[in-house]
Amino acid sequence: MTSVSSLIRVLLPKVQVLKEDEAREEIQRNHSSCRAKDVTMPAKLPVNFFSTRSPVIDLFRGQLDYADHLRQDSEIVLYFFYAPWCGQSIAAREEIERVASRLSDQVLFVAVNCWWNQGKCRKQKHFFYFPVIHLYHRSFGPIEYKGPMSAVYIEKFVRRVMTPLLYISSRSKLLDFLSNYEPGVLGYFEFNASPQPPGYLTFFTSALHSLKKDYLGTIRFGVITDKHVAEEISLVRSGSVYLHRHVNTSLIYPNDIMNYTAENICKWALENREMLIRWLRPHGGKSLLLNNELKKGPALLIFIPYNPLAEIHPLLDEITKVALEYHNCNKSQAAEPDLQHLGDTDSPAFDSSVPDAHMKLSETFSITKYPCCNTVVLPQWHSISRTHNVCELCINQTLGVKPNKVHVPHCNFLEIEAALDSFYLQEHTFFQVISNTIECSNFLSFYSPFSYYTACCRTVNRHFLSFISSEKTIFQTPKVAFSSHGKKGNTQHSIPHIEDRNCFIPDLHITGTNITGLSCRTNKTLNLYLLDSNLFWIYAERLGASRSTHLKEFAAIVDLKEEVHYVLDQNRSLVGSTLENFIKNFSILYSPLKRHLVDDPSVHFHEQRVITEVTTNTFHDTVFLSEKNVLLLYYAQWCGFCASLNHIFIQLARLLPPDNFTVARIDTTRNDLPWEFMTDRLPTILFFPHQRKEQSVKFPEDFSVNLPNLLKFILHHSSLSSSEPCTKECLHKETVLQQGHISHLEREIQKLRSEISALHQAHDQLEAQLSEARREEHRLQQQKHALEKQHKTLQLHSEQLQATYDQKNQELLEMAEKLQELADASENLLKENTLLRILVASREGRLQSKDEIKESLQSEQTLSEDNDVSVSTATATLEVKRIDNIDTIETEHSSGNRTE
Amino acid sequence: EPEERVRAMFYHAYEHYLESAFPYDELRPLTCDGQDTWGSFSLTLIDALDTLLILGNVSEFQRVVSVLQEGVDFDIDVNASVFETNIRVVGGLLSAHLLSKKAGVEVEVGWPCSGPLLRMAEEAARKLLPAFQTPTGMPYGTVNLLHGVNPGETPVTCTAGIGTFIVEFATLSHLTGDPVFEDVARKALKALWKNRSDIGLVGNHIDVITAKWVAQDAGIGAGVDSYFEYLVKGAILLQDKELMSMFLEYNKAIKNYTKFDDWYLWVQMYKGTVSMPVFQSLEAYWPGLQSLIGDVDNAMRTFLNYYTVWKQFGGLPEFYNIPQGYTVDKREGYPLRPELIESAMYLYRATRDPTLLELGRDAVESIEKISKVDCGFATIKDLRDHRLDNRMESFFLAETVKYLYLLFDPDNFIHNDGSVFDVVITPYGECVLNAGGYVFNTEAHPIDPAALHCCRKRKEEQWEVEDLMREFYSLKKNKKFTLQRAADHGEGERAKDPEDAPSEKGGEKRNFKKSSHSLLSCPSQSFNSKLAVLGQVFLDNT
Repeated sequence: MTSVSSLIRVLLPKVQVLKEDEAREEIQRNHSSCRAKDVTMPAKLPVNFFSTRSPVIDLFRGQLDYADHLRQDSEIVLYFFYAPWCGQSIAAREEIERVASRLSDQVLFVAVNCWWNQGKCRKQKHFFYFPVIHLYHRSFGPIEYKGPMSAVYIEKFVRRVMTPLLYISSRSKLLDFLSNYEPGVLGYFEFNASPQPPGYLTFFTSALHSLKKDYLGTIRFGVITDKHVAEEISLVRSGSVYLHRHVNTSLIYPNDIMNYTAENICKWALENREMLIRWLRPHGGKSLLLNNELKKGPALLIFIPYNPLAEIHPLLDEITKVALEYHNCNKSQAAEPDLQHLGDTDSPAFDSSVPDAHMKLSETFSITKYPCCNTVVLPQWHSISRTHNVCELCINQTLGVKPNKVHVPHCNFLEIEAALDSFYLQEHTFFQVISNTIECSNFLSFYSPFSYYTACCRTVNRHFLSFISSEKTIFQTPKVAFSSHGKKGNTQHSIPHIEDRNCFIPDLHITGTNITGLSCRTNKTLNLYLLDSNLFWIYAERLGASRSTHLKEFAAIVDLKEEVHYVLDQNRSLVGSTLENFIKNFSILYSPLKRHLVDDPSVHFHEQRVITEVTTNTFHDTVFLSEKNVLLLYYAQWCGFCASLNHIFIQLARLLPPDNFTVARIDTTRNDLPWEFMTDRLPTILFFPHQRKEQSVKFPEDFSVNLPNLLKFILHHSSLSSSEPCTKECLHKETVLQQGHISHLEREIQKLRSEISALHQAHDQLEAQLSEARREEHRLQQQKHALEKQHKTLQLHSEQLQATYDQKNQELLEMAEKLQELADASENLLKENTLLRILVASREGRLQSKDEIKESLQSEQTLSEDNDVSVSTATATLEVKRIDNIDTIETEHSSGNRTE
Repeated sequence: EPEERVRAMFYHAYEHYLESAFPYDELRPLTCDGQDTWGSFSLTLIDALDTLLILGNVSEFQRVVSVLQEGVDFDIDVNASVFETNIRVVGGLLSAHLLSKKAGVEVEVGWPCSGPLLRMAEEAARKLLPAFQTPTGMPYGTVNLLHGVNPGETPVTCTAGIGTFIVEFATLSHLTGDPVFEDVARKALKALWKNRSDIGLVGNHIDVITAKWVAQDAGIGAGVDSYFEYLVKGAILLQDKELMSMFLEYNKAIKNYTKFDDWYLWVQMYKGTVSMPVFQSLEAYWPGLQSLIGDVDNAMRTFLNYYTVWKQFGGLPEFYNIPQGYTVDKREGYPLRPELIESAMYLYRATRDPTLLELGRDAVESIEKISKVDCGFATIKDLRDHRLDNRMESFFLAETVKYLYLLFDPDNFIHNDGSVFDVVITPYGECVLNAGGYVFNTEAHPIDPAALHCCRKRKEEQWEVEDLMREFYSLKKNKKFTLQRAADHGEGERAKDPEDAPSEKGGEKRNFKKSSHSLLSCPSQSFNSKLAVLGQVFLDNT
């Protein structure tokens, strides 16, 4: 009976089954979304950043505590905090390694990964950039290094941290120290007392402190231990600190006003230091350095290759000398030759607390050497004398040795004689002399390879002071090629330059005409700056330095306010004298310097280009000298509005008759032009009509730039029209033009032909596509028919199936009914069976009782056997029918599923 | 050879995509399989297609073109972002179509005015058109590619989702001749312009039915960014003064209210008060955009600010709190976005400043060190600890790698300054193409502006040119030549001065300032720009 009820349940709605399927899908989807969301990966574990063989200790797991521990073992420690992904850190790694390999015996180099978030360093320090370099001098620190990431600069800085103080033990060392262009602070300490003189440690610390503030380390700190040496700069009391200045009065640290602390000394020195010439070292990040410096006024930028580790810097010394001279404004008062740098005894800025010290100072020494000069009155036959009659001849003696002597060298009569001779011989180098001017020239002496002389000539009957004030001086740099290059091999110092002094012919006061103190006498005072061309050559290139040059030396005067810059001729070597002349030429009222126009050297003239590319250098030739109408486009590559017009100008250039028209363009970002040809907006289109080049016209800005407009603009302004009666020449012209027109038309026809053929092709292509589409359509229609047929048959089939289904369903129900009936029947049969059995039993009982009647026994037995057989047959039939029934139901069910 | 490293990066990612993820939209680099993200278009393949050509791989370009022609179907029951589908799919297909001749694909005779990729782009774009059927003309954010806008779809769309169509749609219209695309794009742009606040700012999200601002944060980053970008790029591509004057007005308001110390913050669009002192990674496109219109000094200053953030983390967090100098909670990720590199490429064109190459070098190092995994490059989930996520967005190959490569390869054909060009004969006439000046859509797909003048070239203009040429060959000139104003130039109603709009807003302040120069021009660079390299910036004296 249970089997029947389960069978009936199978026939119940299929919805349940579908629900199960959905659930299965749901699970799958959950599974996939699970995969999508949650997969992440932690950052890779840190690995060695430096090689294991490197002298740098690499704490790549950021073990800052261990780093601190290491510090205790070494006097000087350099920490390199890096992030392994950081490009700057990677670039600096090599440089640090290079420094480490040179200094590892004295300095401990520790690199710390300060990025890994599990590391101590990341947890304790918060850097905004990498790498960060910190230095410690014993317990003092950290001193952050902020200079260029280049090994030589880093090494120099590390060395400064190692020995922040220079020991000045002798007079010559003192002179060396003081002659340096960088500001210097000196302390005098008597070391006879032990353990250390009072204040020394503070002074030492202030030297370290200054490295923190002034990472370029331009203030040098020195310590004098010898009483006699100290007296040279008038320091008598142990513990006094002295700031040396070249032009202004030197200062002594005011103990009574400011507390004697490391910070204060450092601050005082920074505030009062003299910056005659400054290094500019942009750090690469956003900075207003150049903005601030250049807005102070015109600036002379001098680019030289600089190695901070080099012992001597001859070129730098020479430039320094020019700078000193340029700023040396107290010259007129320096009556005595000795009073070179500290001569200003009456200066109001004089520090009253140490009056006697300065009185003494002023007489102590002279740093710069003196040339030997002589005034020569020119004889009448000398060609220069037509305009000038007095020359001052100065001999610059051997420069190989820095004069440590305090006194002026005496003039050697023979040398003067020799110089005079060669001066007369080289008379031809003076040319284009203009009266009322001073001419200066340098000559190499024929007699001594180590000396040269300078000649400055003028007319003596003029009042010299007048032209000092008017500054109408033109300095003609002689075109004579100095053999300075050759001489450089001999000695780095024997480079010709103007070395002029005021002290020799005091009554003439010729100092006003030269560089000395010029900065105070001109209203165009220059600020002087140095840039290391190894690091900042790009600025030189921007200002027009040649890219091809091997020697990276360059000088330019930049006047931001006037938006001009001047460039020192790069063909001339950068030496003191050329610099001096450069400065002088800038300073005078009617400056002969010409605004430098930077041009783009990468552009080469291409004949085959449809549009002519114009540069600064070719501008004049292409636009003004050509015999054509010129349409000139000012553009810049970066300007979106220019670049999108390219195709229009190309079309225009291809269209215009090339014999009469040039379409040209100039990239104004890379090419400067004279003011009158500059434009403030891009793109700008100018038209220069042939024969009226000076009457250029501008394409009006409120019209759209397209081909018809451009053609009309050109037609409107071009000079082709003439109303004069036709002459023979005109007829000739006409024919030429007509020929041009014919060829133009021929080109047009050619174009049209190709267009037609393109059209034909397109037509064919379309035709082909069309027929293919038609075929496709046909095919699709056929397919449609076929599909419809199929659809119909399928529908029929489905109807049939439905009918069968219904029928079967009906049958099934009937079957079920029959089954029920059968079941009932079988139950009845069973009952009957039992009844029969009872009957049989009772009969058997009766038979037994009737045993006594033996004659009737046999007939009774046969009857009961017959009955047994009929019952078993009935049960068997029933069983078979049931199985059949189940089969039908199952088939029914599955077919139902299928139709569904 | 940094460009070789970039090339290797590209192929590492691209080959793993093909191997493990194709035909899904994106590669999942941690599990080495694929997933559909923005539809089911094999998105990474479409997006990377033109990068292949920029790297010079012509044969693979050709292979992919044929794969796409067979494999991609837009008749699918998928809800797609209108914005993303446009910039990635339509933009990608359009640029591939325009570059296909250069890539050596055998093109139809009608190219560039017809072609299989163009037809695909058009088909995809048509699927998006139902979204524009709103009372305001501003499109819905999402559309079902098969059924159109779903009933019950939210009417709230972000500003960029409304104003980022003109580049692709105008290109489509110009190439196919069907104006419907450009028209809907313009209508949407105008609707935004009309709904700006009194102080001239637009918010972040708007209801496209009622035109009410739903999110009122105004800034230049997420949700707004490419709207401004497309005003400028549309102006350049179409020589359209109206779009440019809209941008310049916005630019003024942006400078007035959102700019602080070369950062751009988020402000309330009606009051102008600062709402979020945050820099977003997406905002880094701004310097590049500024350089396109000649504001190079400001661009460089802002760029240098952004670069410091990169140096702090090795990437740009989605949000960076400027006063705190750190990331913002839940916004610490860096999905290898291109914007800062994009700006570096534009700025390098303008300044040749080595600092920009340095950023490129930093980007290559960071991406390789942090996000490279066996199967590609993984999104950085958190910049604080450089945890990775199982995703590589398709813009990594479309944009990040492309801009990096272009930064390091100044001689790439994309940087063509007009010194070389192609001449193509079409049934519509002769065209000068590939003369440079490519306009990148916001997914870094370059569009050749010359192509827009190729297909719809009016016959009248040709005859006019012919007529004028005759004059050049005659001695006597009898005609007077007057130039046509830009306004007469068939731009019809759109040439109307956008200054009309303020009248309804009672904007009296706007009309007196009429600049004397053309809106479609850049200022020349100042003298001090010569020295504005290696981080040096100059304050202008004005």
